[in-house]
Amino acid sequence: MEPIQPVMDRPILAHVIFNQLEGRWNGTNTEFRWDGQGWVGTDYDKLWIKSEGTLQSNGTLDDGQQQSLYDRAITTYFDLQGGLRSDLDSRPTRNWAAFGIQGLAPYFFDLELTGYVSGQGHLAAKLEASYDLLITQRLILQPEIELNLYSKADPARLVGAGFSDIDTGLRLRYEFSRKFAPYLGVVYEGRFGQSASYARRLGESTGDFRFAFGMRIWF
Amino acid sequence: MLRFVCTLAIGLAPVAFPACMNPGPVTADPGATAPVSLGVDLGSSASRSPLSLGAMAPGEGHERTTATPGVVQVAHEGHNDPHGTGTVNSVDLAQHKLNISHDPISEIGWPAMTMEFPVAPSVDLRSVKPGMRLNFTIEQGQGSMYEIRALAPAGGAR
Amino acid sequence: MNPRRHPRQTGGPAIARRRFVQGIAAGGIALASSPVRRVLAAGSEPVLSGTQFALEIGPTPVNITGRQRIATGVNGSVPAPILRWREGDTVTLAVSNRLSVPSSIHWHGIRAPSPMDGVPGLSFNGIAPGETFIYRFPVHQSGTYWYHSHSAYQEQTGLYGPIVIEPRGGYARPFERDYAVLLSDWTNENPDTIVSNLKFQSDYYNYGQRTIGTFVDDAEQKGLDPTVANRLEWGKMRMSPTDILDVSGATYTYLINGQPPSANWTALFRLGERVRLRFINGSSMSIFDVRIPDLRMTIVQADGNDVEPVTVDEFRISVAETYDVIVQPKADRAYTIFVQPEDRSGYARGTLAPRPSMAGPIPPMDPRPLRTMADMGMGGMDHGSMPGMQMDHGSMPGMEAGASVQKLAGSVGVDNVAEMPTERLNRAGEGFPAGRRVLSYADLRATRPGGDPRPASREITLHLTGNMERFMWGFDGKKFSEAEPIMLKLGERVRFVLINDTMMEHPIHLHGLWSELENGHGEYRPYKHTINVKPGERLSYLVTADEPGRWAYHCHLLYHMEMGMFREVRVWRCASYERVPHHPARRARRDCERRCRTDFRREGRASPWHGANTAGDGPANSGPRHL
Repeated sequence: MEPIQPVMDRPILAHVIFNQLEGRWNGTNTEFRWDGQGWVGTDYDKLWIKSEGTLQSNGTLDDGQQQSLYDRAITTYFDLQGGLRSDLDSRPTRNWAAFGIQGLAPYFFDLELTGYVSGQGHLAAKLEASYDLLITQRLILQPEIELNLYSKADPARLVGAGFSDIDTGLRLRYEFSRKFAPYLGVVYEGRFGQSASYARRLGESTGDFRFAFGMRIWF
Repeated sequence: MLRFVCTLAIGLAPVAFPACMNPGPVTADPGATAPVSLGVDLGSSASRSPLSLGAMAPGEGHERTTATPGVVQVAHEGHNDPHGTGTVNSVDLAQHKLNISHDPISEIGWPAMTMEFPVAPSVDLRSVKPGMRLNFTIEQGQGSMYEIRALAPAGGAR
Repeated sequence: MNPRRHPRQTGGPAIARRRFVQGIAAGGIALASSPVRRVLAAGSEPVLSGTQFALEIGPTPVNITGRQRIATGVNGSVPAPILRWREGDTVTLAVSNRLSVPSSIHWHGIRAPSPMDGVPGLSFNGIAPGETFIYRFPVHQSGTYWYHSHSAYQEQTGLYGPIVIEPRGGYARPFERDYAVLLSDWTNENPDTIVSNLKFQSDYYNYGQRTIGTFVDDAEQKGLDPTVANRLEWGKMRMSPTDILDVSGATYTYLINGQPPSANWTALFRLGERVRLRFINGSSMSIFDVRIPDLRMTIVQADGNDVEPVTVDEFRISVAETYDVIVQPKADRAYTIFVQPEDRSGYARGTLAPRPSMAGPIPPMDPRPLRTMADMGMGGMDHGSMPGMQMDHGSMPGMEAGASVQKLAGSVGVDNVAEMPTERLNRAGEGFPAGRRVLSYADLRATRPGGDPRPASREITLHLTGNMERFMWGFDGKKFSEAEPIMLKLGERVRFVLINDTMMEHPIHLHGLWSELENGHGEYRPYKHTINVKPGERLSYLVTADEPGRWAYHCHLLYHMEMGMFREVRVWRCASYERVPHHPARRARRDCERRCRTDFRREGRASPWHGANTAGDGPANSGPRHL
């Protein structure tokens, strides 16, 4: 039996955060978007889950990316992550192996950089970054960006080779408490190059400005 | 008078009587209900000094006196150092000694005797007078001589 | 006697305690003198005196902010009762645990044999629910101390209380009134939640951060370019200079003797009297700045040991420190005892008054300090240290920092390494308006020379490290669970050199042994049990390892301690230790430990029952010591 320790300095903790839990309205129709992460583990080792997706006004689910990763703290501010990504939504499912880093970059930018390899040898990458600008102690302006790249086109998923799509927004939140902050914002969903042409062929938008209203919550 | 006896009891007795622990508000009004958050006054320094005779010397204030009673921080005393009670016969300030007629000290098997004790330099003898009845603690110093380490009045008036 | 019932002392616990007291007599534990009855004074703090004590730890309902909560009380009260001992007595304390989790009590600053020190895992196995543990040790010191739980976060939920030990020879500095002033921080939140919050967002409780508003203010005052440069400088390090205390008034209510400011804890005096105030910082995470506007304080004791009187307007008391002051109010009015946490996120307030139901004016809060580059360990660019202050030093600070930079920088547990740590003992700290005389460590001069005149035979250098972002804390980049004990030989005289690589103060506490702070007063250096190391500071102190045992050594900020800023200092009397003191071969050390463990276990069991101090005669309160 393990002897009694004077301090328990290896707690196992768990957290879940929704950075985006919002309705997006472009004047015509409304989408619902979520982007959340959760993890359980110790200071060094965690099991990390990421999930995002958009529920479109016509009821279909788009841009679904679900990841489950093993996370290891490697430097003061950055963690190494590795695991699986599943593109799960109304379009055909794709599975990838994931490998990347996540942490706090200098000047307080939150950064996630992940690379993917599919079973067929296709490559992909995703960059997510955000910054919290404090207007007051509770009013915070957050610019945020998500970029996806693919090595090979995947027309069924409206994905072209190269820079594929961008999801970026500027959100102003008010923190009633640290854990609950409703926000208003402006977002832009765009497709580039080959992805844009796929979208145009199907009559879908290639660039869309929307108003967002939602809440940032964690526990 | 009651308060005086009580503060004495606090200083010397292991059991504190409830009444004694009530210094009361300064403007004594035993009938009034005191506000909820009054602090507990633990008493004055005089009420707790075993040898307060020197402690209340005039002009003590914040100045250092050469033989301050508070300096008796005895290093070597274990909890079972022998102690006794006796009456002071004479005080030798120059040699820092006391001549005492004391009761039997059972811890070391001594009968009642009259003898001279060297006293630890940190104990203030200026206010010890012949005829006083004292409790004292002794310890074996160099050369197996017993030395008085601490003094306290033996339950008399201050 | 005052018939008023204190709101926290209702019903259950009092009845349970009565039953317990009867139980102890029935259980046949022979008590040399009659048992002490619990004494309720006119004030709100219960006081227990004598040599035999029965303390019962149990859940205690409290209502401090208007919400009913369950705190951890002793004999039904929060804070725990004031214990009054006498120097020279042997005290016996039967502590029973009526919680549903293990508990413990540590007597802070009290030199007792290691098995009586109360640290689960080092001194003993803790007090299991329903169990009673009998502490018994001789008291060889006098002054103001305190006691608190050393289990989990019970110190945060209310298990803390004052200890007042009467000196055998009386008081050198007379006074007419005497009050224990125990400062603490209270939260309605569960401490586990606080830690979890800090792990996710380390500035969770910091509502004093830099914003666009402060940027504009600074740009107006200092110009746009310097302000931008300043923001970039801090941003590059991913640090915030507004990081003062991890847990703030956002969740804390600050208490004096368990009373929030609205309750107005009052100490009474008569005009012309000298009042002794025994300030104890019994909080978990709050460094306090104490002052009494319009009344100067004369500090006469620090950490229970006499110091040459120093008259100040204000002093900073870090967690677990104690300062005894004497004040002499000259006017027939109420004075406010004003206690601010270092980040100015709230205050505790008491009153010194000639009559009850009076209150003095509450002054405005002092400005909130900002961390400087000196705090980051970038040397004394704006604040130089006085070169003449430090003596007895063999090593050069610059060289030391250089070697460690390679090892520590960039690792998971470390977010900064002080490149040029400075010694700033003659500075009080940041956040004090100009013109106020504030106590600094350099002002503390013992009234008696130290007991051990030997110089240190070796130096142990430790870096205080942490990663604020991950809320990880440790020594030399390692948490307690990742580190080896610090081994000292019985009788050794060592110098501990602490370098604070973090940008927060850490009150470092060594159990069982005195820490003699080298502050330039030579053999009149003060004897302390808790030493507050400023951010980016380097200081040193001497320790005589005169008590065998396994001693806790840790930062007294409770959540730092629990998250890894903890070490074991093991004072070993192993005969073969001489040959394998720092032998890298673990097997050799393990063999030595196995041989010594048998010795030590034998000693450990012997000491409480025979009362004899195995190190020799009892260690004294800054007097000559016997080895």
